[in-house]
Amino acid sequence: MKLVAMLAAALIAVAAQAQDTIKIGVITDRVGVSKPYSEPATEGMVFGANEINKKGGVLGRRLELLVEDDQSKPDVSAALARKLIDQGAVFILSVSLSPATQQQQTVTMEAKTPQMTPMNSADYLTTQLDNPYFWQTGPLGSVQIATLLAHAKKQNLKRVALITDNSDLGQAIGKAFRGGLEKAAMQVVDEEVVPLGATSATPQMQKIRAANPDAMFVAGVVTATNVLIFKAYRELGLKFPIHASYNLSVPIYMTAAKGLVNGITFVDAYDPDKPEVKAFEATYRKETGKEPANLHGYGYDGIMLVAEAIKKAGSTDKEKIRAAMQSLTYGGVMGAKGMKYHFPEGKRTGFDPNGMVVRVYEGDRQGRVVHVGQQ
Amino acid sequence: MQDFFELAVGAAASGCVYGLIGLAYLLIIRPTGIINFAVGEWAMLAAFGGYVTLTKYEWPYPVGMAVVLGLMFVVGWATERVVVRRLVEGGAPLLAPILALLGMLVVFRESISVTFPPDPHPVPDAFGIGRLELGPIGGTYQSFFTIVTALGVFIGAWLFFERTVAGKAFEAVALNRRAAALMGIDLTRVTALSFGAGAVVAGLGGLLVAPNISAHYLMGVPLAIQGFTALVIGGVGRVAGPLLGGLLLALAEQLTVRYAPVPAGYAQGVPLVLLMVFLLLRPTGLLKAKV
Repeated sequence: MKLVAMLAAALIAVAAQAQDTIKIGVITDRVGVSKPYSEPATEGMVFGANEINKKGGVLGRRLELLVEDDQSKPDVSAALARKLIDQGAVFILSVSLSPATQQQQTVTMEAKTPQMTPMNSADYLTTQLDNPYFWQTGPLGSVQIATLLAHAKKQNLKRVALITDNSDLGQAIGKAFRGGLEKAAMQVVDEEVVPLGATSATPQMQKIRAANPDAMFVAGVVTATNVLIFKAYRELGLKFPIHASYNLSVPIYMTAAKGLVNGITFVDAYDPDKPEVKAFEATYRKETGKEPANLHGYGYDGIMLVAEAIKKAGSTDKEKIRAAMQSLTYGGVMGAKGMKYHFPEGKRTGFDPNGMVVRVYEGDRQGRVVHVGQQ
Repeated sequence: MQDFFELAVGAAASGCVYGLIGLAYLLIIRPTGIINFAVGEWAMLAAFGGYVTLTKYEWPYPVGMAVVLGLMFVVGWATERVVVRRLVEGGAPLLAPILALLGMLVVFRESISVTFPPDPHPVPDAFGIGRLELGPIGGTYQSFFTIVTALGVFIGAWLFFERTVAGKAFEAVALNRRAAALMGIDLTRVTALSFGAGAVVAGLGGLLVAPNISAHYLMGVPLAIQGFTALVIGGVGRVAGPLLGGLLLALAEQLTVRYAPVPAGYAQGVPLVLLMVFLLLRPTGLLKAKV
């Protein structure tokens, strides 16, 4: 009898503890095309939640992450958003593919549940749907290109080549690059596409060599294809400078493209000299024994922003959290030194347009910041 | 002209890889009639084997290569033993093992996907990064190594089928399974060996191309398509078919990108057009089987 009473007491305690958590839904991709980006961002989020919980949680309650895998499939993603809301999530963080995040919005808008993507960069996420419950703090694609071009303009480039892959995103970024280059009065003397699954990029690089550009812009987002491009560039002994998309900020290039990336400039949202980054990296290393990267920072900032909003709201009431989020100003790990996320005048994109940086590979290492912002 | 020679060596190396994947199909199709689309995943498995032995543990290249290819033989043999044999012995129609092997394609890919991080994994070149210039012809060490190795494999395969009794047994099974069985040829053994050899050849293709495209869990399907196209172009009837098909395919791919006046991105349709043309006009491929 005593044992039964003890068990019952334990069960009630567990149930009370479970009830006492603040549930945050996380929709990530564990097996699909976005996996290389989604996984580290999710790890950063889990690390951030643990850090918050160690310090006593938010409003005296622990954060509980309910993590779901949508395989980057928009239809699955929307169903998962519904599931998370039914399970009591007061906020949903989306670190899957942009189209999946978009589909989740159809649910969060209807269910009036706050949702944020700390990582997606598609410009349309806040323009196609007027969803007051959705925010985006990943740097927009247009900001990435504008920052890269602002740096390139200083080099006085006149004739440039453009190369990308045939993935959806690679094509979209290639198109945006072309528009930006033309707007900046740079002549695109050759434009090439390396298809996914190609075993060589030599013919494309030969054509670019024949066009004799001042520089080459790499808009591709598929790492294996970009490695192929850099390999052909080195093998042909080419010397013109390379300016690359945000994809080059993924740390895998330091190992997958060993000996191929020295001198390449790329746009990033991560400044290794920023004090917040140094602190984040040191703690992450100490706690997990692993090396963090910019992608971890997105997830970390995401959960920190959500925690700040709930703290500011002083409640888990979704409407109060929405209002708190909209008026939030927060300086995190991502962005140039001193950058703060904020959503002025009802805007729902929180990454400062002048918060991105251009960095350069020094040997195989992602090196110093050589340019900040769009000026 | 320098561009052409430079391109020719790289394209020949790519063609040899397509040819090896095509040969892996052929080794299984001829004695069994089974089209195994999982050959691309075998190439992927070997590429990851290359990453583990050569990059992670830094074994000497010949040792790593031998170990990986040995394991690939076991993978091929086990695939036949576990997936194919019971279907064939149970009298299932030919489509059944083909579909089961498509299922294995997913099993292989997802096994790697959950075992390794999703990023591309580097595999080293056999002789390091460098260029070899032979008069006007120039290319990377890896390109020349790929060409020489693939030619060696094709010559070996040709000698096996033409000059050895075991090879004749394969040929006999290819010509008429039932008659071969009546002649005392062990069909089960021939089938198992064909899967083992197919996995080794596909694995070699994966190991040779991995320094260029890196080991990646999604690398298998494009290689399977390229190898299949090479086989359709060259023909299933002769060992040299996939090599010829692979070389033609790679040259068409790369010369179109370099010289054809088509917008960027459209050139990638050329191999598919070639595949359709051959399927419509010459479905037996360029090389006809010996009568």
